[in-house]
Amino acid sequence: MQFRFDLFIQTLPFLLEGLKTTLGLTLLAMVFGIVFGLIIALFRISKSPLLRGLSSINVDVLRGTPLLLQILVVYYVFPGFGLKLDAFTSGVVALSFNSAAYISEIFRAGIESISFGQFEAANSLGMNYYQTMKHVILPQTIRRVIPPITNEIVALLKDTSLVMITGIAELTYKSKQISAATANVLTPYLAAGIIYLLLTIPLTRLSQNLERRFVKGD
Amino acid sequence: MIKTVNLTKRFGNVKVFENVNFEVRKGEKVVIVGPSGAGKSTFLRCLNALELPSSGEIYYEGTLITQKTNLNKLREEIGMVFQHFNLFPHLTALQNVMLGPVVVKKMDKNLARDIAIDYLKKVGLGHRLNHYPKELSGGEKQRVAIARALAMQPKLMLFDEPTSALDIEMIQEVLDVMKEIAENGMTMVVVTHEISFAKEVADRVVFMADGRIVEEGHPIEFFENPQTERARRFLKSVLSVYSV
Repeated sequence: MQFRFDLFIQTLPFLLEGLKTTLGLTLLAMVFGIVFGLIIALFRISKSPLLRGLSSINVDVLRGTPLLLQILVVYYVFPGFGLKLDAFTSGVVALSFNSAAYISEIFRAGIESISFGQFEAANSLGMNYYQTMKHVILPQTIRRVIPPITNEIVALLKDTSLVMITGIAELTYKSKQISAATANVLTPYLAAGIIYLLLTIPLTRLSQNLERRFVKGD
Repeated sequence: MIKTVNLTKRFGNVKVFENVNFEVRKGEKVVIVGPSGAGKSTFLRCLNALELPSSGEIYYEGTLITQKTNLNKLREEIGMVFQHFNLFPHLTALQNVMLGPVVVKKMDKNLARDIAIDYLKKVGLGHRLNHYPKELSGGEKQRVAIARALAMQPKLMLFDEPTSALDIEMIQEVLDVMKEIAENGMTMVVVTHEISFAKEVADRVVFMADGRIVEEGHPIEFFENPQTERARRFLKSVLSVYSV
């Protein structure tokens, strides 16, 4: 077992092919995760006990069960209920809802950290709920949630590797294929690890910088 | 203009105030004084429905406020200035003042900007238009907050201890602005400890203590010759802190 640079160069295009899928999964799940996360958070703090209950159960279930299990359920169990999705789509669905659960908690904490006086000042001008959220609360919340959401995206990027279980040819899956085909385990796995790090380290640094800047700016 | 009948507010079992009958006529300036915990602020916040009373009635311009009332419409016509300013920190002074007219009244942005600049100049902040709240002093923040409320062109202005959170040297600049608003004929209800302001501006002083209105009357009479023992006790303790 040794690192073979020639093998690394030779299989790199193959890995980058997988990277494309990894990035596609990450970007789609990120967008859906943020949108659904915000909606779940707004339900969670709403006046309606029904919405609050539903969103709270939703968050508990998605955070309280393994993501790998959720991926399997979406791919193998959903078709039994008439919802047949291809592997990539079901991967996106599972990843989106899982990250939405975590992101919703970030939004909820962000909104609840805004002082009550802000809601009152907006109300005293005659703003309704939607106007208050759009013009007063969410602009302040977004500044505060960008750093933790960036961290969440880093976690999501790494978690996309789990969808290889349903045969999606993303980065980790490709590295496993290479190792099987070349009987060299170190080279492809090390290469995949380096590619993940090249993405996650800058993102983590970015998040830390944003955090420092917002703490100072507030 | 606004009137309460047997207004009562409880938080759970804790009674904040009980059976408050209160009226403000158009153009009148009423100052509410009293010890802390008397329920003054909570009462004031009931007037624009930021707090909902437990029982009793509120009439605004003769109409009973109920659960079906459009509270946003009501609040549009009643300006409020808070003890802790509650400016929007992500917006400049100008944007703070423009936001209400643009969002709530759907006013054209250029017109709203002109009006906002006008009000900021009136409160002496023509040179602070593009400053963010964190770049302003406490007195300046409160004057922006007053301009923000005025820009909605309210019929009634509520002030909830507007100078209590200010450093002593900034109190006068805020009171001066409030005096000017009063001189321009605004109907005002002010909760404050500023006795000199009450004497100079108020048409009527309402003394609240222990969750009810204990005494009310003309400011000179009230401050110089209070009728109740409770008011005398209160004024004695206030006068020992504030020099009048």
